[in-house]
Amino acid sequence: MTTANPAEAQSAAVRGRARRQREEELLVWPDLVFIEFISAVVFTILLVGLSVTVDAILLDRANPAVTPNPSKAPWYFLNLQEMLLHMHPALAGVIVPTVALIALGAIPYWDTDNDGQGEWLSGPRHWLNVYVGAAVGSLGTLLLIFFDNGTHANLWQAATGTKFPVSWLVNMREFQKNFPLWQDGAPLAFLKDIQLGGLLRADLLGGPKIDFALNIPAVLVEQIIPVMAMVGLPILLSAVAHKRGIAQTKRDHMILQFSGFIAVYVTLTVVGTYFRGQGLALGPYTIFAHH
Amino acid sequence: MAATERPTRRSMGDRLYDAIFSNRVWRSIFRSGYPNTPRNQMLAVATNVFLHLHPTRIHRTHVKITHTFCLGGLSFFLFLGLTISGVLLMFYYVPSVERAYEDILRLDTDVRFGQLMRNMHRWMAHGMVLTVLMHMMRVFYTGAYKPPREFNWVIGVVLLVLTLLLSFTGYLLPWDQLALWAITVGTNMVGSAPLLGEPNRFVLVGGFQVGQNALIRFYTLHVIGLPLMAAVFMTVHFWRIRRDGGLAKPL
Repeated sequence: MTTANPAEAQSAAVRGRARRQREEELLVWPDLVFIEFISAVVFTILLVGLSVTVDAILLDRANPAVTPNPSKAPWYFLNLQEMLLHMHPALAGVIVPTVALIALGAIPYWDTDNDGQGEWLSGPRHWLNVYVGAAVGSLGTLLLIFFDNGTHANLWQAATGTKFPVSWLVNMREFQKNFPLWQDGAPLAFLKDIQLGGLLRADLLGGPKIDFALNIPAVLVEQIIPVMAMVGLPILLSAVAHKRGIAQTKRDHMILQFSGFIAVYVTLTVVGTYFRGQGLALGPYTIFAHH
Repeated sequence: MAATERPTRRSMGDRLYDAIFSNRVWRSIFRSGYPNTPRNQMLAVATNVFLHLHPTRIHRTHVKITHTFCLGGLSFFLFLGLTISGVLLMFYYVPSVERAYEDILRLDTDVRFGQLMRNMHRWMAHGMVLTVLMHMMRVFYTGAYKPPREFNWVIGVVLLVLTLLLSFTGYLLPWDQLALWAITVGTNMVGSAPLLGEPNRFVLVGGFQVGQNALIRFYTLHVIGLPLMAAVFMTVHFWRIRRDGGLAKPL
């Protein structure tokens, strides 16, 4: 776009636009090189200052026999470690991050409209979508974490002095164990332990005997419900925002979803870093005590 | 030259200037003149291998700090700083289970500026993860991923992953409790992938648990494998910015 075509091929309007572009341009030397030089100097000073005052962490020598409690991944993976507490490890540790990265990479192929490029959130509803996405993403994540932690049941007990009345709604593990349909003694209790080894009679063909049990409530709690939440809630958010006129264009929806994603990422990281203590229990907890 | 203009006697300063900036050696290094005219300013950028990462002109909104917050440039600056401090750290560090931890202790206590070097490396590493993430947000919110820059966004996502991997592999090297268990937790996540998880974890760690094999693998990836890959992707990233006419500008 900036490279000029041969002059004769240009219409007068294009030539006018090219001239206007020239007038809106500055020389890289000195205007940009100067800023780059100054920011490099400023950041060098800041980093030296930080490094002189705060030492990098060094704990005791590595000892495979002593597991620290809690054991945590580096901070930028604590969002994944936090998810690990709520769903199947394959989902939290590998599938979700892989899908998230692919979705992130696919953004420009989804939103191909050139309008508003090179400007900070120029559309009329863009900032609104940032706020809505960030608020729903962070609050929604906190609510889900609190629910799975049984915080509502604890609050109920603190307020009323009695146990939370619906035992299977305390958290997801209680749901998996005590939902009336499949709790012990209920007619569907067999769902928790379906022996598939009996179907796959590999031993009859001379192969090894296959022992494989399917636990349907576990699959539901560890895989199906989390996937439905992670796919369904963003779709619901977009649908509601569309209905209410908050997000109208494709770019509006992209901003809504991207802001929501960033908010979820930050919330999970902060909770994983500062609010998971011994045994990864939820609670006020400082990283400084650990390090 | 008009008749009234007579050559004045050249001052001492003029002659000194010429002696420094007009001699054959100087001219062989810097072919354009001192960048105090628009022509020479453009030549200074266009004929210098480092500066020609930039176009010679940019849109006037792009020099405003609030347009980019210098985040991409800062990420690159931190990468360079990490390379320099990392090379210095390599002088003192042996990636063996017996020596690694003692080397870090000695670096902190016996080596002049050793602790400072290690601190710089650590803080710059954390800083780079942050600046790369914020750079991604900046590019998204300014709509700078739009055509023709789609693929450069994809390369940016690859660079984000490489940054995280660089930081992750470096995490193990001090061989303290934090390093060992953070990497154990992290690599166990890899192991939880369906089908290929366990084989991948085995290759990454070089065994069933984090030990000498993991240390040498992480070290090699950290000091040569991943930086080379990052350098290649950065080259493409910068080249494409340049080919697409610099930063995205309003239509």
